[in-house]
Amino acid sequence: MAITLIEAQASSTDRPEVHVLVDRCAGCQECVVRCPVEALDMDTERWVAVADEKLCVGCRQCERTCPFSAIVVTGPVLAGLRTTTAVVHPEPLLADVTEVRRGITTWEQALAEAARCLNCPDPTCVRGCPAHNDIPGFISALAKGDLPKAHEVLARTSVLPDICSRVCNQSAQCEGSCSWSLAGEAPVAIGLLERFIADSYAVPPPVRGEDADLSVAIVGAGPGGIGAAWALTEAGAAVTVYEKDPSPAGLLGWGIPDFTLPEQVANRPWRQLQEAGVELRCGVEVDASGLEHLLAEHDAVVVATGASVPVRLPIPGADLEGVTDATTFLKTARAAFSEEGGVEEWRGRNGLAAEAFGEERPHVLVLGAGNTAMDVARTARRLGLDATCVDWLDERFSLARPDELEEARQEGVRVRFSRTVKAIEGEGGRVAKALLLTTSQEEAGRPPKVLEAEPPEAVAVDLVVMAMGYRADPAVAAALPGTPVRRESHGVPDREWSASGLLANPASAFSFHNPVGKLALGREVGLQAAALPVRERLFVIGDALVGPATVVEAMAQGKRAAAAIMAARPLRPGHPSRRGSRRVLVCFASEGGHTERTARTAADELSRKGHHVQVLPIDKVGPKELAAADLLLVGTWVKGFVVAKVGPPPEVQAWLEALPRLGGLPVGLFCSYGVNPRSTLARMAAVIERQGAKVVATAALRQGGGRLDAIDFSRRVLAGAREIESAEVAAAV
Amino acid sequence: MATNLEDRTRANPADPVSVAVHLRPPKRAGLEERFAATDPEPGLELTKNPRVARLLRDRKFQFLLILPNQIIFWTVIFVGVLGTAVPGLNFGAAITWYVWFCLVFVMMVVVGRAWCAMCPFGGFAEWIQRRTLFRRTQKALGLGLKFPEPLARIGFLIPVGSFLLLTWIEEFFNIAGPGNPADTAWMVVGIVSSALLFFLVFERRTFCRYICPLTTLIGTVGSMGSVAGFRTKDREVCLACKTKDCMRGGENGFGCPWYTWPGSADSNLSCGLCTECYKSCPEGNVGLFLQRPLTSVVAPRRRRADVAWGVAMLWGLVVYQQFNATNVFAAMDGWLNKHLYFPHYPNPVDYLAVIAAVTLATAGIAWLLGKTLGRGEIAVTHPESFVDRTSRFRAFFVPMAYGLIPVVGADYFARQLPKFFKHSARVVPAVAHIAGFSSNHSPIYDFHILSNGWIVVVQVAIIVVGTAAAAWATWRIAGRELVPVSRNALGIRLATLGVVLSCGAAASVLYVLMHAAS
Repeated sequence: MAITLIEAQASSTDRPEVHVLVDRCAGCQECVVRCPVEALDMDTERWVAVADEKLCVGCRQCERTCPFSAIVVTGPVLAGLRTTTAVVHPEPLLADVTEVRRGITTWEQALAEAARCLNCPDPTCVRGCPAHNDIPGFISALAKGDLPKAHEVLARTSVLPDICSRVCNQSAQCEGSCSWSLAGEAPVAIGLLERFIADSYAVPPPVRGEDADLSVAIVGAGPGGIGAAWALTEAGAAVTVYEKDPSPAGLLGWGIPDFTLPEQVANRPWRQLQEAGVELRCGVEVDASGLEHLLAEHDAVVVATGASVPVRLPIPGADLEGVTDATTFLKTARAAFSEEGGVEEWRGRNGLAAEAFGEERPHVLVLGAGNTAMDVARTARRLGLDATCVDWLDERFSLARPDELEEARQEGVRVRFSRTVKAIEGEGGRVAKALLLTTSQEEAGRPPKVLEAEPPEAVAVDLVVMAMGYRADPAVAAALPGTPVRRESHGVPDREWSASGLLANPASAFSFHNPVGKLALGREVGLQAAALPVRERLFVIGDALVGPATVVEAMAQGKRAAAAIMAARPLRPGHPSRRGSRRVLVCFASEGGHTERTARTAADELSRKGHHVQVLPIDKVGPKELAAADLLLVGTWVKGFVVAKVGPPPEVQAWLEALPRLGGLPVGLFCSYGVNPRSTLARMAAVIERQGAKVVATAALRQGGGRLDAIDFSRRVLAGAREIESAEVAAAV
Repeated sequence: MATNLEDRTRANPADPVSVAVHLRPPKRAGLEERFAATDPEPGLELTKNPRVARLLRDRKFQFLLILPNQIIFWTVIFVGVLGTAVPGLNFGAAITWYVWFCLVFVMMVVVGRAWCAMCPFGGFAEWIQRRTLFRRTQKALGLGLKFPEPLARIGFLIPVGSFLLLTWIEEFFNIAGPGNPADTAWMVVGIVSSALLFFLVFERRTFCRYICPLTTLIGTVGSMGSVAGFRTKDREVCLACKTKDCMRGGENGFGCPWYTWPGSADSNLSCGLCTECYKSCPEGNVGLFLQRPLTSVVAPRRRRADVAWGVAMLWGLVVYQQFNATNVFAAMDGWLNKHLYFPHYPNPVDYLAVIAAVTLATAGIAWLLGKTLGRGEIAVTHPESFVDRTSRFRAFFVPMAYGLIPVVGADYFARQLPKFFKHSARVVPAVAHIAGFSSNHSPIYDFHILSNGWIVVVQVAIIVVGTAAAAWATWRIAGRELVPVSRNALGIRLATLGVVLSCGAAASVLYVLMHAAS
């Protein structure tokens, strides 16, 4: 296959052409440093970029990354042919849950596909992957035939390569962000390559690290809990996982049918975790008061309860017999498949017994056409039912995996986009027909318009399954301040993400025109939020944190929370080795230099006392920096004229308001003023306390004031933080 | 490209993206020589002063520069249309033609694109495009298209064309005379509307960079100025920068609207002094620098053909504007109008013919110098690029045209002086007239700062200074760029010097003739 690609390139007379607009090229070399094939160089005399078209493969990475749009590439994209694998539908489908989608089976195929990877210097696929797997890294290892190394690369960011490669919607994530995809061609089959690695060489188990004298409780044994438990175990923490279901794995166990994720693959992580010493307590439901108990018993608690409450459409007829939800449907169907004669029994229980329908097959209407809906519809086909999915989205902007959609259709599922249900009508208290309305959608991400004026279409149905997704349990959410976090990025996008070119071409046809860059930036918000406690020592991850999301996101957030816990090493009140040195973050907004000097003086004093101190201007402080701190000092200059409009400057106010949840973080606030600070500190305190921080000391320091004031302030902050801890200990006792 | 997996496994797992990013090192070969002559001295950085730094970092800075001009030019529009028809008493006409145009030239010669930083036309359109007066916003209003590549390839030549067109319209309607003040108002409305249209269709300051009638004039004449513009403090920091916020826009500033990167700027030609790069650089690695006068004329290694042709055409236009005051021209224009049935001065044929003749004569001299003094064959490189293509002719013409910039600049400046010295005082009664006071009988109305005779003396003196500057610049440029391609080193230096001196002499003589004719 690799040879084919080279031959195709060599024999092609139609090559990409690179036009550098020399009037506008500023010679910044953004294209030069990012070109995957070294086709761009510098003309140092003119100081503009020059292209060697013989090397160019037409990936348009230069176009996407040029800040001044000074490069235009025309001509073909020399992406080569993407490897496809078999999809084997059981014949007959009835009660057969054998895995349908097959992986790459030969090394020849794997190497050919690996050869398509450009190994981009700024790989957009890595940013598109919710876990940020080093995709070019593991593909390189695979290309060298080194599967242990490929696993080593993957293991840094993922503990579920076998699962993610099967269940991820790669088209909207890594593959949608692949340079080939952004250029309009078929991306590298990243999912298939990851699966080949995981299927060809056993996923290495977690290796318990040296005892870290840290006890962590995890509530929920789904993918988020797995990610957190794995990373914490490897770091040497003692991990106890509480799961309300009788068996672990959460959604992986009951939510994803075997024909997509075989049971033995889904069970692999928990088998390995338990062998590594993770204590699993199934059948234990933890409520709000239970969380308090766990916080008293453990040094940190991670809530990974997921989003298991199915979303139900509030339409007339939703309470009729024969209207159910995806969770119930999938759980009962799974049980039915595992027993001899279970299918018949299931149909009888649901009023769909074969005798009542004769030759005809009962008709299931599935509301939704996302991945859960596909699972439901395909499961229905295996229960001997006809299935139709309706979704109000336009097919161009579907949220389903393209291959999943195709496979569902191959199995006889009817998928109708641009339709929504107006009402369900019944006969004798049981569902009989559904009234469908047409919708219209012009843009991805925009809610479609329902064409109410058109007459509804009546569809005879025998069962309706609402499969529009799930939401977190409101009772759990109420105990977790600041959740759910909206996965939306606001303000100026991360500068390195902009520079990578991922945000420049958000609407690839391969990814169903989903704005892959924008989606990835949104996921980043969730990932960063996972590293910050919502209360002191209480972390939330996965769907419980961000609402219904994906397996890979939950797992990545679990790993991120674990890393934050290991970095912060929080200890429960009364723990004998509680707190030696602290990790202090001193951040400041300085106009004339006074605030910065005060910040540095306070930092020096804290450092002298043996604490680890980082001093940064506020515009350099983000969730990452905050997550690494257990004591925060914030200083600002004071804006205003004598007594008019005196207060923190707008940029400080905006920064404070944009802070993530600070989960009980002790904070010291100071300002340097010329005439009068007025209510500057009180206003800052009000905002930061809303974010869950605890203000332990404040100081208004006159510009040019004494060094001793700053030193005294830093001492008061330390004393305040100690007082909080003492209070916690007392409360715990 | 080979992957160093070992390096990747050693990297920080808490930041998995950066583990996978392995940008190539930027090219550094030839960097020192390329920018040695054009990089300003660190001691000339204005932003080292904390007050200057604070001022420039304030997002309201440019807004406050633009605002007074905005007020003035909207007043020009309203008073021009609704006010008195007496030009000297109409604030719109008086402020525009007696004061503003002259001050713009003073700013050009001293500061460079200072006017661009405070321009109310582009400024107004930019407020609309950015949906803000001064805040850093994310979404622009309008289509945000790129300027078409074939047009962008000819760089600064389109604005020269728009300047020639605007000047002809101005001469035809006697707008700058000034004639009917309403014409001045409509001209301003036309410029503002065009700017707004382009700002709403294209991205950034495409209008200012590729269309504005004044941009080539300000850019070239401004390169004599002592403000180097915003430049990098340390090029290594710029090269290592992974985000280029100064170009793309960052937390605190927009990306450069002028398509200039401080990291590679070697002249002030395209620095609009808007301060955005200074605000957006996260490393604080951009500064506002001064430079010795004429540095941006003499020092840049990269010579641009569009700039050279632009200078030659601007030279043609200013010569036309002097020549048109002579009796010979009046007779010729009258004759043409009569035979071509054109209503009145200026006949477009002689307008274009004179400009073309001067432009081609300038180019012809360069061609002759290349032919007679050129050495060996000069390889044709970059044939696809109008801006950079090389040839024997261009090897002589382009540097020589750069050397002419001070003469051309001085000539334009000198040409604005009569109105300023004779009528700038009229702004006072014109302002009073808005409030219903004063008339053209006011003693200030006829107050002349200098008499006609002295004005000519000042004009000639300015031409002499400009010519001396051009002579110095040409001597330096010829020594560095023409000598290596010439058979006779001294000969080419003297010949180009002769061209410059001749141009200066011609401009001086024309001023004397203009004075005699008037």
